[in-house]
Amino acid sequence: MIAAAKTRTFTVALVGNPNTGKSTLFSGLVGVHQHVGNYPGVTVEKKTGRTSFAGLRFEVIDLPGLYSLAPRSRDEMVVVDLLLGRQRGAAVVDAVVCIVDACNLERNFYLVSQVLELGLPVVLALNMLDVAERRGIRIDAARLRRQLGVPVVPIQANRRIGLPQLKAVLADTAAGAVGDIVESAGKTHPLQRMGLSSGVPLNILPDRCLHCGATGRPEDCGEDAAGTAAMAPDAARVHSTPLPDEFEAEVALLESELAEESNRAAGGPLPRCLVRRLLLDTNGYLQRTLLDDSDGRWASRLAAARERLAAAGSPTPAVETSARYDWARRVLEGVVVEPGHYKTTPSDRIDRVLTHRFFGTLIFAAVMLIVFQSVFVWARPAMEWIETLTGAAGGWVEAHVVEGALRSLMVDGVIGGVGAVLMFLPQILVLFAFLALLEDCGYMARTAYLMDRMMARVGLSGKSFIPLLSSFACAVPGIMATRVIENERDRLTTILVAPLLTCSARLPIYAMLIAAFIPAHSYLGGLLNLQGLTLAGLYLLGIVTAMIFATVFKRTLLRGETPLFVMELPGYKWPSPRTVFMRMAERGWMFLRCAGTLILLVSILVWAALYFPHDPNATHQEQQRNSYLGQAGQVIEPVVRPLGWDWRIGCAVIASLPARELVVATMGVMYHLEDKPGPGDRRWSEKLRQATWDGTDRPVYNVPVALSIMVFFALCAQCAATLAVIRRETNSWRWPAFTFSYMTALAYAAAFVTYQVGTWVAG
Amino acid sequence: MKHTPPAEVIPLWNLSEGSCARIARVLGPSDHVHRLDEFGLRGGTKIEMFRPGNPCIVRLSGNKVCLRTDGLLEVLVEPM
Repeated sequence: MIAAAKTRTFTVALVGNPNTGKSTLFSGLVGVHQHVGNYPGVTVEKKTGRTSFAGLRFEVIDLPGLYSLAPRSRDEMVVVDLLLGRQRGAAVVDAVVCIVDACNLERNFYLVSQVLELGLPVVLALNMLDVAERRGIRIDAARLRRQLGVPVVPIQANRRIGLPQLKAVLADTAAGAVGDIVESAGKTHPLQRMGLSSGVPLNILPDRCLHCGATGRPEDCGEDAAGTAAMAPDAARVHSTPLPDEFEAEVALLESELAEESNRAAGGPLPRCLVRRLLLDTNGYLQRTLLDDSDGRWASRLAAARERLAAAGSPTPAVETSARYDWARRVLEGVVVEPGHYKTTPSDRIDRVLTHRFFGTLIFAAVMLIVFQSVFVWARPAMEWIETLTGAAGGWVEAHVVEGALRSLMVDGVIGGVGAVLMFLPQILVLFAFLALLEDCGYMARTAYLMDRMMARVGLSGKSFIPLLSSFACAVPGIMATRVIENERDRLTTILVAPLLTCSARLPIYAMLIAAFIPAHSYLGGLLNLQGLTLAGLYLLGIVTAMIFATVFKRTLLRGETPLFVMELPGYKWPSPRTVFMRMAERGWMFLRCAGTLILLVSILVWAALYFPHDPNATHQEQQRNSYLGQAGQVIEPVVRPLGWDWRIGCAVIASLPARELVVATMGVMYHLEDKPGPGDRRWSEKLRQATWDGTDRPVYNVPVALSIMVFFALCAQCAATLAVIRRETNSWRWPAFTFSYMTALAYAAAFVTYQVGTWVAG
Repeated sequence: MKHTPPAEVIPLWNLSEGSCARIARVLGPSDHVHRLDEFGLRGGTKIEMFRPGNPCIVRLSGNKVCLRTDGLLEVLVEPM
C-alpha cells in the first residue's frame, strides 16, 4: 500500500467560501511552487501547486472561492466538473480540503454539505479560530469532529499554525485512498475511504457516519458504527445528502429515466449530485448543458417533477437551502456558542470611518491619489533603467551584427518591440503591489461598496469598479480582473468599456504632444497649468466616454437589470508581504506572457512592413515612402486628412496597431530622428514643428492636429494585447472585433470633431 | 432599548443604524432569492444594521456584508 502511494501524485482540491483564508492556506501548503493557468475555454483560474510531505507527492488545486456548488455558468461548471473528475485534461481529485471560517460556521456549512455529497474524502480545515475567540464565539472542535464525521483540523492559515497536522491528515487520507484501490474498491466503509482507517494522529476518528449520524438514521445508511463493509461506495454516496426523502425519490426516478434514454452528450452515467442539480436548477443552465432536449421532453419531465415536489411541500430550489441549513444547524448543535451581543471589533471602528459617506469617500479619493502618484513616480527609475538596458542591447547588436535585414530585425523589431512592453512593467508591478496590498488588508471590498452607488447609475455594480481601476494602468489586467463579476452581461459591459480608460501606454503620446504643442500657460497663480489641464481633460474624456458607453451597452446590446450587489466585507488585517509579493509577481508574469509574446510578433510584422521592399541605395525617407507601410499610409491619407493628418501620421497609426506606445517610436523613425525621442525632448518637439506637408512648406502640426491625435489615441483600441485578452476572456472573436470597431469609429469621429472645431476656433 | 411588537415587518432599508432584526422574507426573482439564501441572507437570520443606505452594510453572524436592494429585491425584516 505504501509503495503504491509513493509512486503516484495525489490531487487535493481546496474548496471554501470567499474570504476564508483559502489562498493563504494554499500558499502555506505549496510555498512558491505555484502555477497559474486557465482551464481551456473558460476563465476559471487554474491555480495549482506541487508539494510533498510524509514521503508522498501532492498536487494542490486552489479553486475559486464559492458560496455554493450550484453551477449557473460555464465557469462555475468547471469547478463542479473538476471535483467530479469530469473535467477534461485535469487530474481526478483524490481528496478535498474544505476550509471554513470559524466565525461563520453555519453559513460556511452550506457549501460543506454540498462538498460532502460529492462522495470524495473530505478534510475540514477550521480556520480563524483565534478571530472567533476574540469575537466571543466558542467552538468545540472535538464535538464538531464527532457530529460531522470527517476529520476536522483547526488551523491558523496566516500564521501557519496547524498546517503540519493538516498535512498529516492529508497524507493519511492519501494512503487510505491507495489502500482502497489496492485492497478492494467499494468493500470498505465510507469513513475508511475518507482516510480514517489507521494512524490518524489527532484523535479525529468520527464515531458516526456522514449526515446519517447526525440525523439519527443509521438504518438508512446500511453501515454499522464499527465500520465494516456493507455497501458499495456509490450506494453510500446516495445517502450522503440532507435533502428530504421525497426529493431523493424524484432524483432516483430521474436518474433511472436518464439511464434508460442515455441521450446525454457525454458518455457514462451522470453522477447523482448532478442529477440533483438538474432538478434544483430552475434557471435551466444545467438542462441546456447536460441534456439533449430538442423535443422539450426533459423540460416537461423536470417541470412535472418540480410540481410534484412543490405539492409535497418541498419546492425547488428553496428545498435545498432549507434542508442544507437545517443539516448545518444539526451538525453544529452544541458546537458553536455565539455571544449574545457582538463586541465592537477594531475592524468595526475602522469601518465607521472608511465606509462613512463623506469621510470614507474622502479617504478613498486620497488613497487613489497616492496609488496613481506612486505608479508614476516610483516606477520612473525602473522604467529609465529598462530603457537604458534595451538601448544598450540594441547598441550591442548594432556593434556585433553585420548591417542588414537581421540586424534591423533584431534592433527595431525584437528589441524595440519587447522594450516597448517591458517599459510598462514597473508601473504595472507598482500598481499590482498596491492592489494586492489593498485587497489583502481588506480595503478593496470597501471601495466596491463606496463606488457601487455610482456604478449602479450606469447599470453596473460595485464589483465592476476594481477591474476599471486596474485599467488605468493597463486594460489587460483590468479585463482579467472582471472574473469576479458573476453576471455575464455586466462582465461583458465592463470588458467592453475598460479599454476606454486611460492606460499608462497613452502617457508617452500625451507627454510628447502636450510638451510640443500645448502652451505652458499658468492660471490661479501657478496652481493650474494648461498642459496639466489638457492631461486631466484627456483622463476625464476616457472616464466620461466609458460611463456613457456602459449605460448605452446596458440599455441596448447587453440589456439587463442593474445586477444584484451582495458582497462580504472581510475583517481588516495586516497584509502579508508574502501574499502581496506572490500576487504581484503572478499578475506581472501573466501580463508579460500575454502582452509580450503578442507584441513581439506584431512588432516584427510592423518592422517587416517598414523594411520591405528594401532598396539599399534609397535614402531613409525614400525607403519609408516606398515600404509596404509607407504605401499603406499614402493609400489611407484621404481617410485621415479630415483629421488633419498627413500620410506619415497615418503610417504611425497603422504601425501602432499592436500597441499605442509604438506610435512614438514609429513617428521617430518616420521623421528620421537618429536617436529615439524622449517625451519632452526639445529637439523632438522642434522636428515635429518643422514637419511639413509633402511638397509644401505648410506645417503638418498645430494645436488642433495635436489635439486630434491625442483624442484619437484616447479612444481607439490600438492594443493587440487588450484585444487578445478580450478574445481569451470571452472565448470568441466577436467581442474583440466589436471592441475594435466601435472604439475605432468613436476615435475617428471624436478626432474629426476635435480637429474641425479646433481649426474653426483657431481660424 | 426600544421594543417593537414582533409582528411588525419593515423593509431592510428602514432599519436604523445599530438595530437588530430578524429577516422575515426575501422577495424577488427566485434566482436572486436563492442566491441570497446560499449567501446566508435568508428568512430567520438575525442581522444588525451597521450602516443604513443603499447599498447598506449589515452584520451577519459576526461578519459584515453589503447589499443593495433596489427594484430587484425586497428584504423584509422584523426588528428585535
